[in-house]
Parts: sequence; C-alpha cells; structure tokens
Amino acid sequence: MSIQYGEPDMAGSYGVADSFPKDFGYGGDEAGIDDDSSASADTQPRILLMGLRRSGKSSIQKVVFHKMSPNETLFLESTNKIHKDDLSGSSFVNFQIWDFPGQVDFFDPTFDDEMIFTGTGALIFVIDAQDDYVEALGRLHGTVSRAYRVNPHINFEVFIHKVDGLSDDHKMETQRDVYQRANDDLADVGLEKLHLSFYLTSIYDHSIFEAFSKVVQKLLPQLPTLENLLNIFISHSGIEKAFLFDMVSKIYIATDSSAVDMQSYELCCDMIDVVIDISCIYGPIEDGGAYDKESLAIIKLNNTTVLYLKEVTRFLAVVCVLREESFERKGLIDYNFHCFRKAVHEVFEVGCRTPRNGGRPDDSLTSSTSTTSSSSTTRALNHRNYASHNGSMM
Amino acid sequence: MEKMSRVSTALGGGGGGAVSGRTMFCHLDAPANAISVCRDASQVVVAGRNIFKIYALEDDQFVEKLNLRVGRKPSLNFSCADVMWHQMEENLLATAATNGAVVTWNLGKPSRNKQDQLFTEHKRTVNKVCFHPSEVHMLLSGSQDGFMKCFDLRKKESVSTFSGQSESVRDVQFSMKEYFTFAASFENGNVQLWDIRRPDRYERMFTAHNGPVFCCDWHPDDRGWLATGGRDKMVKVWDMSTTRAKEIHCVQTIASVARVKWRPERKWHLATCSMMVDHNIYVWDVRRPFIPFATFEEHKDVTTGIAWRHQHDPYFLLSGSKDSTLYQHMFKDASRPVDKANPEGLCFGLFGDLAFAAKESLISSEANRKPYPGGDRRYPIFFFKKPDLTEQFAHVSSALSVFETGLESGRMDWFSRTARRYLLCGKPFAELCDHNAKVAKELNRPQVSTTWTMVRIMFSDPANPNLSAKLGTLPLMNSFSMKDMGACPDMGACPDMGACPAERGKEGRSDAAHLEPGTSHISNNDDNEETEGSDGQAEYMFGDAELDDDDLYSVEHDNPAEDQEYTLPQEAFPLRHEILDNPSAPEPLQQDKAESPHVSGGEAEATCLTPIESCSLISATQPLYSAHLPAGFFCPVVRDMLRYYAEQGDVQMAVSVLIVLGERIRKEIDDLTQEHWYTSYIDLLQRFELWNVSNEVIKLSTCGAISCLNQTSTTLHVNCSNCKRPMSNRGWVCDRCHQCASVCAVCHHVVKGLFVWCQGCSHGGHLEHMMHWLKSSPHCPAGCGHLCEYT
Repeated sequence: MSIQYGEPDMAGSYGVADSFPKDFGYGGDEAGIDDDSSASADTQPRILLMGLRRSGKSSIQKVVFHKMSPNETLFLESTNKIHKDDLSGSSFVNFQIWDFPGQVDFFDPTFDDEMIFTGTGALIFVIDAQDDYVEALGRLHGTVSRAYRVNPHINFEVFIHKVDGLSDDHKMETQRDVYQRANDDLADVGLEKLHLSFYLTSIYDHSIFEAFSKVVQKLLPQLPTLENLLNIFISHSGIEKAFLFDMVSKIYIATDSSAVDMQSYELCCDMIDVVIDISCIYGPIEDGGAYDKESLAIIKLNNTTVLYLKEVTRFLAVVCVLREESFERKGLIDYNFHCFRKAVHEVFEVGCRTPRNGGRPDDSLTSSTSTTSSSSTTRALNHRNYASHNGSMM
Repeated sequence: MEKMSRVSTALGGGGGGAVSGRTMFCHLDAPANAISVCRDASQVVVAGRNIFKIYALEDDQFVEKLNLRVGRKPSLNFSCADVMWHQMEENLLATAATNGAVVTWNLGKPSRNKQDQLFTEHKRTVNKVCFHPSEVHMLLSGSQDGFMKCFDLRKKESVSTFSGQSESVRDVQFSMKEYFTFAASFENGNVQLWDIRRPDRYERMFTAHNGPVFCCDWHPDDRGWLATGGRDKMVKVWDMSTTRAKEIHCVQTIASVARVKWRPERKWHLATCSMMVDHNIYVWDVRRPFIPFATFEEHKDVTTGIAWRHQHDPYFLLSGSKDSTLYQHMFKDASRPVDKANPEGLCFGLFGDLAFAAKESLISSEANRKPYPGGDRRYPIFFFKKPDLTEQFAHVSSALSVFETGLESGRMDWFSRTARRYLLCGKPFAELCDHNAKVAKELNRPQVSTTWTMVRIMFSDPANPNLSAKLGTLPLMNSFSMKDMGACPDMGACPDMGACPAERGKEGRSDAAHLEPGTSHISNNDDNEETEGSDGQAEYMFGDAELDDDDLYSVEHDNPAEDQEYTLPQEAFPLRHEILDNPSAPEPLQQDKAESPHVSGGEAEATCLTPIESCSLISATQPLYSAHLPAGFFCPVVRDMLRYYAEQGDVQMAVSVLIVLGERIRKEIDDLTQEHWYTSYIDLLQRFELWNVSNEVIKLSTCGAISCLNQTSTTLHVNCSNCKRPMSNRGWVCDRCHQCASVCAVCHHVVKGLFVWCQGCSHGGHLEHMMHWLKSSPHCPAGCGHLCEYT
C-alpha cells in the first residue's frame, strides 16, 4: 500500500487544480512511465500492423490513433517505408505501432526479422475482405510462421477488414473461410499451436476500435485487476456499465465483466468526442490539452440514462452508463470513484516499478506482479470500505 | 437417475397438472443476475451482485426460504454472475463470482453459512457454471479469462483446464445426451465443442455469430441441436450431429440475445431474453422466425435470467430481472403477438406491380368474388407455408399474389404523347379544345377528353357552329345532361369525388343565385370594352344571348363574323373575349362522368342519365339559367377543376387548359400557383426531353418568371465579320475596325433582320439576295471564290 506515494498526490490532485507541473499530468507514477518509455522505446512491446498493400493498415492507424475521419482515409498515400508511430507520449497505449508498407519483402536479407519480431507484442495482419484474399492468406502464412519462429510469444491478430461492404451472411462466410484456410495452412506446416484470433473490422463503425481494444487488452498484464476494480466499483455504485477508456484513441483498455453492448460503447465513444470538442472550445487556453485532471462530464440522456466521465490518469478516463435513479446518489459515486482512481494509480505504480521485459507480457514475472498488485489493491479496497448502496459511509 | 425419471413421468402424465400456479412475482432487494430452479420445481434460487436467496414456489406467491448471503461483511465471492442448481443433488448449488471465484453451496449444512467449496483458479470473472446433467460431482466453469475448468467436487482444485485460446468464455453447457461433450461459446463469435476427457484441444469449432455469442443451449431431446444467441441479435439453431455444424434455423430478434432456453416438451420452441433495450421475454417457434410465438411483458427492466420451472412442463416460466423482481409467468397469460399482427401485407413494386399477401382463406374467397379492378392481366403466385402442427400456433399459411400492372399504366407514355400532340395555340379556341379532347380520347383518357369538351362548351365562342356541330355533338349532348342543375345536389353526395365536387357545385349555384342579371351585364360590358375592337360585337353578343337564350344553336349561328376575329391575336395572347355562353354543367359532373368507366360499383344518378334523357332535360332547364350567367360564371369551377388536376398530379392538364383559356381564367388563379404549375410542367417536359414542347409552353406562358426562362440561359455573342472581335455595343458598326459589321454581300447594305451567311467563307447577306444570287451562281457573292451552297 503506497500511502507514502499516493496520498500526497491524491491530495494535490483533488485539492488544487492549477498547481500541476505542465509536463506531467501528475505525480511520480506518470513520470516514471514516461522516463521508462523514453529510455527504452525500442524495447517496449510493439504492435505491428501488416498486410498486403491497400488493405487499409495506414487507415486503421490514422483512424484509431490520429482521429482521422474515415472518409479522409481515401486520400492517404500508400506507405512505402516502415512507419513507426510512438504513442507513449500521447496515449495510454504504451506501445509502438509499426505500420508496414504492404510490399515489404521478408526474404530481403536487409529485413531484420530478429530485430523486428523480438520486441513485438502483437502482430496485426490486415486482410481486405472485399478483395480476393487468397494472396493475402499466403502472405499471412509466411509472415506468421516466420514471426512465430523468432518470437513465439507474439499474439497474432487477423483483422478481416473493410467488412462494411459485405452483407451479414457474407461476413460470417468470409470469416469462416478465412479461418479455415489460414488454420489449414498452418496445420500443414505443423504449427497447430500457433493461435490466430480473427476480428471483423471496418473503419466506418466502431468495430475497429473494439478489435483494437481487444488486442491491447491482451497485452495488458493488469487487465484482470482493472476488471475486478471496475466490477467492484460499479456494483457498489449502482452503475450499469463502466469502461476505462484511453482518451486519445477511444479504445477501452478494460471494462467490467458484463458483456459489452455495442450501443453503450458507441455512446461512450461519442461522449468522449463531445467532451474533448467542448473543452477544446471552452477549456482554459494556457493548458493546451483538451483533457486534463479536471475533466469531468455528466450527460443526462432523455431515456433516464446518465453518462458519467471522469479523469483517472493522464490518458485514461472512466466512462460509466447508469440510470438516473442511481445517479441520485452522486456523492456515493464520487467517493467510490475516488477509491477506484486511487487503486488504479496503485496498480500502474506497481507495474512501473517492476522491470519491464519487453515483448513478453504474459511472462511469469509480470503476471505474478499483476496478481500481487491485484490482491493488494483488492485488500486495499476492502480496507477503505467502498461505500456501498446501503453502506454506512453515506 | 431412476428417481429423476420417476418424477418426470409423474409430471409428464399429469400434463402440467402436478404443478399449479398463476402469474405472480415478488420483489427482490437487488437486481438479479441469474436464476436456477431445483429439480422438483418447488424452489428457485436467485443470484445477483447483491443478492443470493432461495424462494419457494407456492401456488400463489413466492416465499423466501433462505438467504445465503450471510455474514456481517459479505465478501466478493457473493457477488454472483451465475448460479446453477444441481439437477441430481437437490442440496447442491454452484455460483460464479465476478471476482473469479467458483463457489459451491451445500444446503444440507447445519450451519448458517452454507458455503461448501471455494475455487479461486480463474483470474477474471466467471461467467458461467454448469453441472453435469447426470454426474453428481462434475462442475464446469467458463470465465472471462478464456479458460474453462472442470472441477471434481471431491477434490480441492480443478481436474482439467480447457483453453479457449484467450477469448472470453460466455457460456458453457454440457450436452444433454452425450456424456462427455460440452459446448462453449465465446466473445469472438466462436462456438467450441469439447470432449471432457481431452483438455488439450477442442473437438470442433465454428464461427456462429458476428460478435460475441452470449449463450447456448442444447436441445433437451436427443437431436444434437444447439441453440446459440449473440450480440448480432440472432438466435441460431445448429445441427451438431453432422460432421460440419449446420445452421438449420435462424431467428432475428430486436436486441442482443442474452439467454436462450429450449422450451420443454415442445420440439420447436425456445425462450429468449435480451441484454439491453428490450425487457420482454420471447418464446419463438424456430420455424416461424419472424414473429414471436408468445411474449411476456411483465418486466420493467432487462431480464437477466430465465428458467423453465420444470424440465417437463412447458407452461411455467420463471424469470429474474434487473428491476429486482422475480416472476413466474404462466403460458396462458402470455401475449400472442401473432394475434395483433396484421396478416395482410401490401407493397408496390418499382414498376407499379402490386404484391399482396394475406391469409390464404381470405384471399382465395376474395379472388373468386372480385377480380382485380381494371386489371387486364393477373398473375397470382401462391406460396404456402408449412402448416404448423401444434394447435397453439395458428395455421400460418398465407398466400401472396402479385398483380402485374399493364405496361402502359406504369409508364408515362401518355404524358409525352399528349404533350407532343396537344395544340396550345395557333387555332381558334374551340378548335384547340376539340383537338385536345380528341387527342386525349385517342390516348384513352376519357376524363381529360371530356374536360376539354366541357371547357370548350363553357367558354367557346358561339361563332363556331360548324365545329361544335361537327365534332362535339355527342359530347355536347352528354354534357348537357350534366348541366341539369337538379343533378347538382346528387353530385355532392357522389362517393368518388368526395368533398370537392360538393363545393364546386355549391359555388356554382351560389354564384348563379347571387348575380343579378343587370349587374353582370354591366361588368361584362366593361370587360369587353377593354378588349381591342370587339366592343360592339361583345355587346351584341351579350344582348343576343339574352334574347336568344332559349336556343343555344341559334346564337351560335348568328355570329359568323366572330371566326375571323379570333384567329388574329393567337400568338401574343389567347382569346381575350369573355363572352357569355350557354350554361353547362359544373365541372365535377364531368369528372364523374369521365371516371365512371373506371369505378365499379354504385354511382350517383348522374351516370344513369342517358343522352336521350338529358336531351329532354335541356329544353326544360336551359332557358331558366343561361340568360343570367355572366362571363365569369364558370371561372371558379374551372379554377377548381385545374386545382383538382394539379393535385392529382396531372399538371399537364392544368397548364394546357390554362394556356388555352388564357385571359379567361388567368386572373382566377394567383400567380404563384400558376408559376408553380408552369415550372413543374416544364420540368417534367424537360425530363422527357420534350424540348420543343417545353419551349412552346415557356413562350406561351403569361407568367413573367416563366417567360424569362428562355432569356436567362441564352447568350448570343456577336463578332465583327471583319476584325473577328466581339462587337461591344449594339450598333451595326464595329467600334474597332469602324466598318459595318453585317453588310449584305450582294447589295452592300447593312442587314437588319435575317442575315444568312455561308459557313464556309462566312460571307452572307439578306436572305432573298443570297437566294437569288446563289440560284444564278455557285460562287460567293463577295468574290472570295468559295463555292457556297444554299440548301
């Protein structure tokens, strides 16, 4: 329990708003992350985006991480060199997105697969579903088997992309077909253990964000802890659904364990847009950023639903969907959120202090760290007595 | 096993009589997440994040039996995501906790805390626990962390772990019939089949849904059917008995499907509830996937758990909801959407085809009784649905008939042909009307044709006896039958015309009643004096009409000179004389007459009037009215008629009549309406590429806004023929080269009028001069040596 670390920060964060150093959102934990990332940019886990040319890799990257409107992606030039996009400065997703040009040749001797695949956490292979994907499958097979030989810990994710143009039946058929062929190819060369995950995505709806969320969540050793925290938070506050959002990319890095309904997710995404836009217009100019410590938004919809957004860390915010009658106990929610926020900070603090070993998020060391942190925060939460519905804290 | 079968047979024999009850509910303290029924259908357990209680099911109420959530400070292990009551061992319960714990409970324990075993092997929320249907100690769990674990309750930890390859597990279900098999559904849309003995790899996997699969349920009979429900709002039924999972039924619901449960003893029925938005519970017949067989609408919030009360009784459904209620639904109290659904459907195709679906019984009787009205061809196609065997779901066969309309009626041929053939100017008014009436008649539009005839009669100049005698005798006679004022009240009641004709008839009559002959006389004189050179005639006319009102034809014969007068002003304006004419029927009568061929069924008396009858009427009525009718008498009627046509979509008729009638009617209609009609008609004409007609209409229009249309988009550039520069001012002299620009090559004078020039050498001159010159010589008159050609 990092009282000595957390408490002053919390006090600062809750008391005086303007006393923050500009460079770092808040105290030592964030600074630690930043230092770490800048020092070891090459060793932190990477997400690689690969696929045939014109399959939509750059579009995905631009839409998800650079807020490009999907329609504008039509005018993107084709990528002809590896585009390294380091998001550690702006987004919680502490990974690098390497956007590969479609025509990269792995058999080129200058192609250093050791270097590339060693630090890679996830490899996203993009297949254009509207095109003939036989060639793409061949490339997928080559890429994946090669990467697997170098680094078997990579998560292999296949985005069956541009499905917005397909009918529902056709989508399923395509997914089934791609799945079947890809796995048959792998089985032929004895790589049954290699697991491919498939997602149907499109940049014209939220499916790409959801798929990316899943990809990022898999690389996140703290995920179970965060999920438990959210579970506890919402069950004690009468909240229906809560997401922990990365504000920049609108991907959710954790949610409570109830099923994600696309509508609520889209609603929350839209809310983030609204909040960012409004604070861009009316926010204080000197801070520059549209999202800061004070960010808090409540939107009441006319169907007795309330959306509640509050800052958690410099990159993260909790967005909750709840009913109006639950929102009557706003003090309770605020208090519980306060506890939750503290716990999240502790979780990432622990994560910071343990030495990172790049590219292997499922490594025993990291996961054990996360479990300890989990149990400790859970204990902390129990200690601090989440005020519950009928609790006495009110 | 023996015990169970005994119970079931007892119940099955009773046919549901063993368990009695009614629709009832009780309030829970907190939202429920899941419910489960004990084997003998006497108790139900409700679990949620803040609740874990057992209720006894009595005849008319729920009675709380036991609160399992004990202790001063409940641990997170009590926060249940799922609960299952063992179907073999009635004291055994299992719950799945949101913190990843799997807990078993033994109700036989003497202490207050009934917790039996605690497995904390899952790292994330456990979404589902499932007991083996026939094995007492075997428990299966599926978790968010992607693993399924099989527990032997005699051991402290799991006996085997199945990895779904890092996708979250949403549901696990042991197969009813195959001892070792279980199905698991995943958030990425896959469904996997596992053999409990082989934890290393799934037996089979297929993609079932687009998006997460939230639930699955094996069919209680041994068909190897698996129902799955997902976020894509579908419920799918898979046949797992073949080597490749085959989708055999698919039900589309309106919200993502959270739970699905087969209905006991009903082969095709299953119950679903949704995850968001929709609070109802639906029971579907999978063979009829478009409408729920039954709906339970009691819950105020999302239903989270459903269970059939007894596994052999299809009439009791229990459900728990987020609105903190626990319900028992009786099947007889369910609402049946099919009763409220409209069994008829009607739809128009792109080309005017009409599809009509109705209950088979309905349509077959109807088809015999009444053929498609006006339809020359009829192609009914019949689709029969398979009849439903269960008596509860009504016989659902329906028939679909498709009526293809004749090609002509769908097309707009009549429009372009009418537009081309109509004469709008260039002839005397009566001739125009007659011509147009003829055109309309030939194009099989009797109503329009009659309208033209009527217009002619109303406004025509009595000086054209020949024409009216020649062309319009019969129509005239017909229309005379209408002018019978006695028929007017009847017309008001005519069903097809509705309110409009009534109004028109009224207006016409009231006009006639109010206008004194003297005043109308004066006003008409004034009008006529303004028109050029026709004062005398008009006065004479008027007087004539007054004098000879008993004989229409004599009036017409008396004015032979009028003919000449009317041909003159045709180009600039249509006829301007407002001449009192013989009174004729108010317009609606005409329309009724015209429409009557279309409309089957009872009509007003007007249609019964034969020409002969009406002839007799003429003599009786005409003298009474014709004398007192001023020139503007028909204008309101005609105005309403035009409006009627425009509203009917036949703006062509409105505009054509407007043009042909010209001044007679123009003042009656406000400019904006006229302009609107004109623009619509011109737009239509241009869409049909009838440029000439549209141009004529523009030219003939009296609206300023319309007639300037031709000027706006036409630009004329004039260049000097000597220096080839644009001519700046309007003179005949080019200000650059100071020469006359358009000089006739023959006479060397400036051409002020038609200038014709050779396109080869660009020399030219007066038309006649050039014609003359080129008749005599093939060479250019300017002497350039070009061999000009005049065609």
